[in-house]
Amino acid sequence: MRSREEMVSLVIKRAAVFCLPSVLLAVLGLSGCKTAPPPDPQSQLIAKGRDIFFNETFAGNGRTCGTCHPAENNFTIDPAFIAALPKDNPLFVAEFNPALKENFENPALMREFGLIQENLDGFDDLKNKFVMRGVPHVLGLRTSVASPGGPRTGWSGDGAPGDGSLRSFGVGAVIQHFTKTLNRVPGIDFRLPTEDELDALEAFQLSLGRQQDLVLPLRLKGTVPKRGQAIFLDNSLGKCNLCHVNAGATANFGGGSLGNANFNTGVEDLPDQPARLTTQTVPRDDGFHTPGDGTFNVPPLVEAADSGPFFHNNAIETIEGAVAFYDGDAFNSSPAGLALKQADPRGVGIELDGTQIVAIAAFLRVINTLENIRQSIMLLESSLSVSSPEERKRLLQRAAAETGDSIRVLEGGGLHPDAVAHLRDARRMAEKAVRSVFFNRKHTEAAIRDQKKARAVLVD
Amino acid sequence: MNVMKFVVGVVGMSALLVGGQPPASAQKMTEQFIPIGQSPGLSGKATVIGKLQSVNTPQKTCVIAGPTGALNVTVTEQTKIWLDRSKLQQPNLKGTFADLRPGATVEVKPEGQQRGVASAAAEWIKVQAASP
Repeated sequence: MRSREEMVSLVIKRAAVFCLPSVLLAVLGLSGCKTAPPPDPQSQLIAKGRDIFFNETFAGNGRTCGTCHPAENNFTIDPAFIAALPKDNPLFVAEFNPALKENFENPALMREFGLIQENLDGFDDLKNKFVMRGVPHVLGLRTSVASPGGPRTGWSGDGAPGDGSLRSFGVGAVIQHFTKTLNRVPGIDFRLPTEDELDALEAFQLSLGRQQDLVLPLRLKGTVPKRGQAIFLDNSLGKCNLCHVNAGATANFGGGSLGNANFNTGVEDLPDQPARLTTQTVPRDDGFHTPGDGTFNVPPLVEAADSGPFFHNNAIETIEGAVAFYDGDAFNSSPAGLALKQADPRGVGIELDGTQIVAIAAFLRVINTLENIRQSIMLLESSLSVSSPEERKRLLQRAAAETGDSIRVLEGGGLHPDAVAHLRDARRMAEKAVRSVFFNRKHTEAAIRDQKKARAVLVD
Repeated sequence: MNVMKFVVGVVGMSALLVGGQPPASAQKMTEQFIPIGQSPGLSGKATVIGKLQSVNTPQKTCVIAGPTGALNVTVTEQTKIWLDRSKLQQPNLKGTFADLRPGATVEVKPEGQQRGVASAAAEWIKVQAASP
């Protein structure tokens, strides 16, 4: 028989044995929580813009900006992403809304090639006057919209109504893509964004992706990507850097930056364009202006490798194919190709062999991966300072998705398997952080370390 | 020497391409569906909203009584004219010069980024459709 004192002592010991780990876990868990500072006005505006971008339908057919620019797919859509969407996704509104069945979208071309219907030359003959375009991502807009002649938005640079600015772009998008019927009556078929909403949408879009251009050359470690960079920068061989300075979206032919410029590179003259191999009607896209002058604006290349298919008509699926386009007849016979030829002392446009094409593509794959790593680290670090579990989860999932892109982009070019291994570890840690209640900080920090290891494999 | 030739060539190409560059432009076609006074970044800044005072059909000109005075407008082949029927809850339509009638409320976007000018060619004109 134990005495009362022994019993009390035993109870206390047992309680200590059972409770101590819980207390320690709680302390550990709480140590991961920091009180986030109150958001500044710009952050609040961006957050408001994000909410509008992904959730606001503007009283239209159910689409949001995020329908075609989903964050989880690099703010663009492609056939693989589209194939995974449920049938009732508002992207497919032409398939289930009778008022939009004809002359609003072409579901066959949307599903097979990721193409969207646009009436850039007017709405007076919807059956015959339209173009079919891919969805450009909206990353790095801060570096790619400005031009001395004014802002350039969309594939041909004239995507926005009003003053043509990125801020005004949303108004045109709502009218073109969000309408309930083809009458397009404001207040009935949709509502137009308010001034405040346009401010917020602009702030959010400008916050996405890179805020500045790279400064090339980078000290790349891989033999082939390094050679690809050299060809890219060689104004007598690759000539890429003339129109894509620092792999961005601005041109400079030696007389200073032209900002984001428009060129006719002959993409519309490509033979065997996928959409035109079908029985569907695909009118010629005349680009900038009405009637168009055949030019399209320069997209940034840092984001290219994981955001294909490529060009305004999704004509080419792979980054290698996109580089090879500039070695072909369509480009070298185009106004831009002929101008390059004219400027060349040997009178040649762009002539590359297979190894050189692959080397440039390898370079583009590596700089895309470096950008994905940068974004992933930023997302992971941000997740450490947010107090909302939902927001933390969102950031971690985005980081895991970006890391997945990095893995695919490197593997697709047979590049840097050692970096891929680190990236796989990083993704696993990010996914564990999503699931973990008490150790998300530890896993997140491990993911950041793995991202940095991968980066160190790619560049000095 | 080759390098020099290349530089000269590239600078020449730059001049050629830049010289041939059209100015940045808004997407005029969705503008058709934006009601008078709501064009983003333009209304109240680079457009004039007022009543049509007079119309000269042979010369394809008209005079708008704007908030800061009269604006003489020339309608060119490039000028877009739209009928704004949004107040009638009807779809906006493409219009013609014949839709410009004295007394109608209009919004005029002068070509370029002109502001406060007394006369200008119109890039587009929106005409408020009258109630039936």
